Amino acid sequence: MSTAAQEFLQQAEIKASDLEHRALIQRGMASYESAFDKGRARFADWEAARARLSQIKEEALASLGQNLVEFEKRIVERGGQVHWAETAEQANDYVVELARARGVKTVVKSKSMVTEEIHLAPALEKAGVTVWETDLGEFIVQLRQERPYHIVTPAMHLSRYQIAELFREKLGENVEDADPAKLVAAARVALRKAFFSAEMGISGANFLVADTGMVALSTNEGNGRLTTSIPPIHVVVTGIEKVIPRLSDLAVFWPMLATSGTGQPITTYSTLVRGPRTKKENDGPREFHVVLVDNGRTGLLGNAETQEVLKCIRCGACLNICPIFRHVGGHTYGAIYPGPIGSIFTPRTAGLREWGHLSYACSLCNACKGVCPVKIDLPKQLLLARRDFVATANVKPAERAGFAGFRWATASARRFRWIGWLGGKVASTVRSIGLSGTSFDPTRAWTKYRAPIEFPRQTFRAWWRSNGKR
Amino acid sequence: MANASAIARESILLRITRANARGRRVPSAKIPPQAIFPPIHDVRARFLHESAGNLMEVFETADLSESATALESVLRSLPAGEIYVQDHPDLACFLADLKRSRPVRLSSQGAIAENSQAALTLAHAFVAQSGSILSSSMCGGRGASIVPPCHIVYGRAEQIVPEIDDALALAQRQVPEASYIGLISGSSRTADIEKILVQGAHGPRRLVVILEGQDPDFAVSRNRVNTVESAETFD
Repeated sequence: MSTAAQEFLQQAEIKASDLEHRALIQRGMASYESAFDKGRARFADWEAARARLSQIKEEALASLGQNLVEFEKRIVERGGQVHWAETAEQANDYVVELARARGVKTVVKSKSMVTEEIHLAPALEKAGVTVWETDLGEFIVQLRQERPYHIVTPAMHLSRYQIAELFREKLGENVEDADPAKLVAAARVALRKAFFSAEMGISGANFLVADTGMVALSTNEGNGRLTTSIPPIHVVVTGIEKVIPRLSDLAVFWPMLATSGTGQPITTYSTLVRGPRTKKENDGPREFHVVLVDNGRTGLLGNAETQEVLKCIRCGACLNICPIFRHVGGHTYGAIYPGPIGSIFTPRTAGLREWGHLSYACSLCNACKGVCPVKIDLPKQLLLARRDFVATANVKPAERAGFAGFRWATASARRFRWIGWLGGKVASTVRSIGLSGTSFDPTRAWTKYRAPIEFPRQTFRAWWRSNGKR
Repeated sequence: MANASAIARESILLRITRANARGRRVPSAKIPPQAIFPPIHDVRARFLHESAGNLMEVFETADLSESATALESVLRSLPAGEIYVQDHPDLACFLADLKRSRPVRLSSQGAIAENSQAALTLAHAFVAQSGSILSSSMCGGRGASIVPPCHIVYGRAEQIVPEIDDALALAQRQVPEASYIGLISGSSRTADIEKILVQGAHGPRRLVVILEGQDPDFAVSRNRVNTVESAETFD
């Protein structure tokens, strides 16, 4: 078992029995759910919308090369620069080198999961650049030196009181009664200074639009707008799979992303940028760079089975509905992308051997498949990841033998009946001689947190013989 | 660095070509967008309904003098300090009154100052479906709609378009030169703390629309262009 797998188990055990955490997440998810239901009701045909998004994304992936080249051409035409990076290091090197060449001391960042994935902020800090996360949730987890808990709401695991305490400690702000409005105001004051002193703004992208050469960015707070408007240099760091063919596609993507992400009809600032300021404009950055990151994505594309994972628009709906996420929380995964999509994306791009265990963080309830706005078959992808994990990783000999035995036992009806009978006898004997809960008890893992299983007197087969034919 | 990028570009594109060459069909989206959203019958009513949901303040006015009164009432509620105004003939009529009450900075004089109390701009269109304002860097610059605590948009009822799709098409047609285009749907907000909604995160706490003209019949067909025709060069 990899270290990451052991940590997952330990953390899951702690979080699953942390009642405060549970209450906070349940409250947050309940408020999301009611907004999501209301948001979906605004559509004439939600299923048609999902089908259309899925089709557009499939189309976009099938012509990914052309779309990227067209996007690049249009950005360059307007005076922007496009940089391609195969790996995280290449992307970081480019941004760090650019910061050094322009004498950048302070960077403001709007929320971007790709920059988390490639660890851009630590790379910049190592080069002596101060990095400010400006999304409120990201700002909070940055102050706590934590990873984002959730890809859309990074600080949803914290109560207002914890945040007030954090601000008192790190910003020297005493916020009365931990009032959320006052906490937001305190963060606004601190970050305003950063916006107006930073020499570089770094954002991600929700979509790249090929036909018009635009970067689409959705934020509610407006930090994305300030990041892309105030500093003299704007750098976009994003994954190659974000490109969509046409500007008009956003007429469906924007409402679907907002509704799936937060239940809103549309995100407050649905923004398009396509270059540095023009001669006719009185503000905006003088330099505009787009860094297109592969970092394992072409590997997913190259496998027909896993290609659909690249359709993801990072809305977070699969995290919100996932019973595992709700129980173990976002940090337990130990990866940048938590939840169902992360348990597929991480093993596939960062390595099955180390991360394959995440594909087991799933009860195969299929809830995520039902909400995914781009119709990714997440449960199937999790099963495929398990299959490939077992094939590549060092599975314990005992586990291998166990499954070989299981296969043998279930391959014949007679053997299955006999083994089932034997298992029942063993379990009830163990219990009758007072060994329940000990390591001799085969139901121990179940009964550790649950009431003992009542074994029926009759097997189903026996019941069927006497009652089923009526 | 440029060389590293060129090498990466070649190999990424090569891998994509190889991946997609393996018997990939090239489907195109077949579901018409019309099937997705319910039809909008009354664009004005829908815009008013959605913008209220987005916590915007909308003043409906019949003519220029009513608009001036509405603007004055908004400005009276703001603290003293400079106001930033998009330099455009359609807003020139308000300038004399504005200058009497507080300092005015025009977009032709440069970017918005950090301590501006409000920005007064035009919009390219209003969107009924989402209660949004279609704005761009042509509407007084990028900062006008995000830096001040209050953003006031002056426009006419016939600028309301039904859907987001119409707004995107209009943006593509009418502001091909803008380096920034945005659909703004309400004041700046966050729910990052315990999912509790707070207005005025990083941008304006208030988004005010002064919507002039009562006749909704022109709404679909006629859209005004609000570009800075006499724009100076700032670079």
